[in-house]
Amino acid sequence: MSASLHSSENAEPNLTPMLDMVFQLVTFFMLVINFQAASLDMSLKLPVIGSARPADKGAEELLVLNVNKNGKVMMYGNEQDPAAFVKNEGKEARFKLELSGKKVKKGEELPTLVVVRADLGTPFELLNKVLTECQNEGFRKFALRAMSKAEGS
Amino acid sequence: MSRKRKKRSGKQEEVTLNLAAMLDMAFQLLAFFILTFKPAPVEGQINLNLPPPRAVLDPNQQQKPEDENEEPGGPAPAHTLTITINSAGNGQVSSIQVGLAKLFDGPLDGNRLRMLDRRLKDVFAIEGKPYDQVLLKVGKSLGYGELMKIIDVCTKQKMADGTPVNKISFVEQAEK
Repeated sequence: MSASLHSSENAEPNLTPMLDMVFQLVTFFMLVINFQAASLDMSLKLPVIGSARPADKGAEELLVLNVNKNGKVMMYGNEQDPAAFVKNEGKEARFKLELSGKKVKKGEELPTLVVVRADLGTPFELLNKVLTECQNEGFRKFALRAMSKAEGS
Repeated sequence: MSRKRKKRSGKQEEVTLNLAAMLDMAFQLLAFFILTFKPAPVEGQINLNLPPPRAVLDPNQQQKPEDENEEPGGPAPAHTLTITINSAGNGQVSSIQVGLAKLFDGPLDGNRLRMLDRRLKDVFAIEGKPYDQVLLKVGKSLGYGELMKIIDVCTKQKMADGTPVNKISFVEQAEK
């Protein structure tokens, strides 16, 4: 009796299986984390188009434009003027190309794919301003985003 | 070396690692990942090649498609199909016109979208009129949601050579 009492004082749980399990969970979450989703503004209500194709996950250079109902570009929760924003992005894209040895003048075609995520209530007048700004900077490839199926379905 | 010594001495010292600290850290990492986890929304996209803005001939004055004598940089030739979408003030469609002919009046619904689809199929099937791009004349206040429904119908069409239509350009149309 006294011996068993004495041994229970030193009893320690075996933490190894718990640690294994926790590391497996951490690995899972590390693998599924998506940093690109941070640039998407989730407050926008996208239209639902059944035939919209899944987004390409190539190494293509992307420029994501979250356009709200007021025609402003949303970037990390802040409203930005579309003209100034697109101008900066165009400048940056041209600078990147210049670094890789290809000089592109303003207005010449840029390889960047512009992903437009506009709210379904955005009037065409405001959306067209954003698209025209992009075209003036040299962006030609566009992808208009929509939900493949309604949320909650 | 040390093992040999231990064996020789006959004493087996148990080395126990304190896993509690590591477990704490792992739980903290796990908590971070669980709290920041947000599954990506199921989004699709319609890819478009939007050429730079360019003057387009009025449909009434369009020449035959085989006419190749247009000046470079001048108005787009007749192989541009014009779809006029008039909008009501609330962002809905008020009427749609394909080419010169009015297709329907009233807001978009399933039947009207099917009607537009059939009409475009007929237009693209006409031999000797190889349309290769679509020009959408869109009312200023038309909502992006309604516009996407129409773009969706347009991108489903196939040109005379079998390639899908992805050259779509937009022009703003003044409200009536």
